[in-house]
Amino acid sequence: MKTSAAVPFRPSARSHPAAGRTVVRAGPLAFVVRRRAAAAGLLLIVLTAAATLVSLGVGSTFIAPLDVVRALAGDGPSTVVVQDLRLPRIVLGLAVGAVLGLSGALLQAVSRNPLASPDVVGVSQGAGLAATLVMSAGLGSAWLGPFALLGGLAAAAAVFAVSGRHGLAAHRFVLGGVAVALALKALTEVFIVGADPIEGQRARIWLAGSLAGLGHRETLTLLVPVLLLAPVLVWAGRAMDTTALDDDVARGLGVRVVRRRLALAGVAVVLAALATSQAGAVDFVALAAPQLARRLVRAERPPLACAALTGALLTVVADLIARTAFAPVQLPVGVLTAALGGPYLLWLLVRRRNR
Amino acid sequence: MTTDAADRPPVRLATRGLTVGYGDRTVIDGLDLELPGGAFTVIVGPNACGKSTLLRTLARLLAPRSGTVLIDGAELHAQPTRELARRLGVLPQSPVTPEGLTVADLVARGRQPYQRWFRQWSGEDSAAVERALRLTGLGDLRDRPVDALSGGQRQRVWIALTLAQDTDALLLDEPTTFLDLAHQVEVLDLLRRLNRDGGRTVLAVLHDLNQACRYADHLVVMKDGRVTAQGPPDEVMDAACLAGVFGLGGVVVPCPVTGAPMIVPDAPA
Repeated sequence: MKTSAAVPFRPSARSHPAAGRTVVRAGPLAFVVRRRAAAAGLLLIVLTAAATLVSLGVGSTFIAPLDVVRALAGDGPSTVVVQDLRLPRIVLGLAVGAVLGLSGALLQAVSRNPLASPDVVGVSQGAGLAATLVMSAGLGSAWLGPFALLGGLAAAAAVFAVSGRHGLAAHRFVLGGVAVALALKALTEVFIVGADPIEGQRARIWLAGSLAGLGHRETLTLLVPVLLLAPVLVWAGRAMDTTALDDDVARGLGVRVVRRRLALAGVAVVLAALATSQAGAVDFVALAAPQLARRLVRAERPPLACAALTGALLTVVADLIARTAFAPVQLPVGVLTAALGGPYLLWLLVRRRNR
Repeated sequence: MTTDAADRPPVRLATRGLTVGYGDRTVIDGLDLELPGGAFTVIVGPNACGKSTLLRTLARLLAPRSGTVLIDGAELHAQPTRELARRLGVLPQSPVTPEGLTVADLVARGRQPYQRWFRQWSGEDSAAVERALRLTGLGDLRDRPVDALSGGQRQRVWIALTLAQDTDALLLDEPTTFLDLAHQVEVLDLLRRLNRDGGRTVLAVLHDLNQACRYADHLVVMKDGRVTAQGPPDEVMDAACLAGVFGLGGVVVPCPVTGAPMIVPDAPA
């Protein structure tokens, strides 16, 4: 090896040795930020805001973007339509999409598998079965959220029991998850067929993931626990850096690999179960958003914040189309996101083959 | 010249009644071993003799079934893994390279044991990473993706990651596997420099007996999970050891360049 006579020491103006990263300091705090992630984040915020404005304006009556802004400020004739009819549902869509994006990013980073997401490995299906049981038993809709949450968590517990001992080894985790998901889906179908037709229809719409008729109450129920988890998410964003490394290398760096995986996956599952319990099973967002964000940022693993923003953007756009494409019939947003899921998976497959 | 902090305390590793295995298979059974601090120690032995298992246990990548590993007299597996990571650097055998990471980005992760989620980078971290890149001659490759590098360069990146960790001891599991001879020598020379100039305690598992004899201060010879001999290479390696441990006929002669024992196997049949 050449000594540094041939490789002169370069005094570096960089605050972080890696290109494209910057250290942001505030008193005793110091955070490492990817410059490309910051730029992508800004772009996604602008796009999401624009999509939200358009979505607020489009519907049975069209409202121009400027009037939407005025209505949001409580001014003008469209205030009721914008603030009371459209905004609650759209805000919930943003929240659900963002939370699903976070969940998918965590699961994919932990398992190092782009196919791992809560709607593939059984969390959504567990919530779906529980929700179906509540509806077919004729319990009030107040029970729906809590039971769906428990159902999602229980399904995840089953998957962890199958694969957790091996530290969520990628293929075992995804295969175990798919098996649990299929079993739960079949069971759900049995209950729907046996249920009263009206309740069955309600269950089907819930299972497809629909934002119709939902609003601020659901958004709050979803976002309050997520905001409480915020410090955990900041920790997770960094902890994901070592789950991207070889397990033994991470152990050598003093990381308890299996424990960290389970903790991160646990956070992911709680997030997904919360989102599903409030809006039903919105497929594909948690699967695609992290990978789209990863490509945008050119990172080695899904970036957390950008995955959340991508999830919010996807969901808002999908909901806009679901609401308006077949108006006056409103599709559940989950139908649209699921329809996008197939081509996306094919694209992922083709890209992999080409590498 | 490469510079490196020279006054590192020697790290003494030892085992007491160490038993390790995988599943039903016991690989090492009741091993008592004392390794010198501050030395370049090399473990050799035939395939499946337990040398990697021993190194992985000393590096706390494996938990012992019974018995203990001691680091400077204290029980290794009872210590917080994060604090240990500031004393022991570990390079596992052919680690998986993550896609799309640059050299500097990967090396920077060696600073993990010194960081918290609210204090993710410090000037000390920068200094340690720059030093590691300099010592391994990777300055010019710092912005290249690791998965685009050659095997030898990649191995240097992994060593740089453990150097950024700024530890008193380095444990390496077959660091020269899959490298051509020039790169093997390059890596071993670097390890020797880190030991001599930097005062680091280095412990490596090596496959090549001649290289082991050439670089080691202290040679540990293993067979069937037991240590059959240890000491300076010229006291340990002879024709009897070659025949007894490796089942190989041949002569051991002094190397014409270094004087270290050199193995010349019998003429091919």
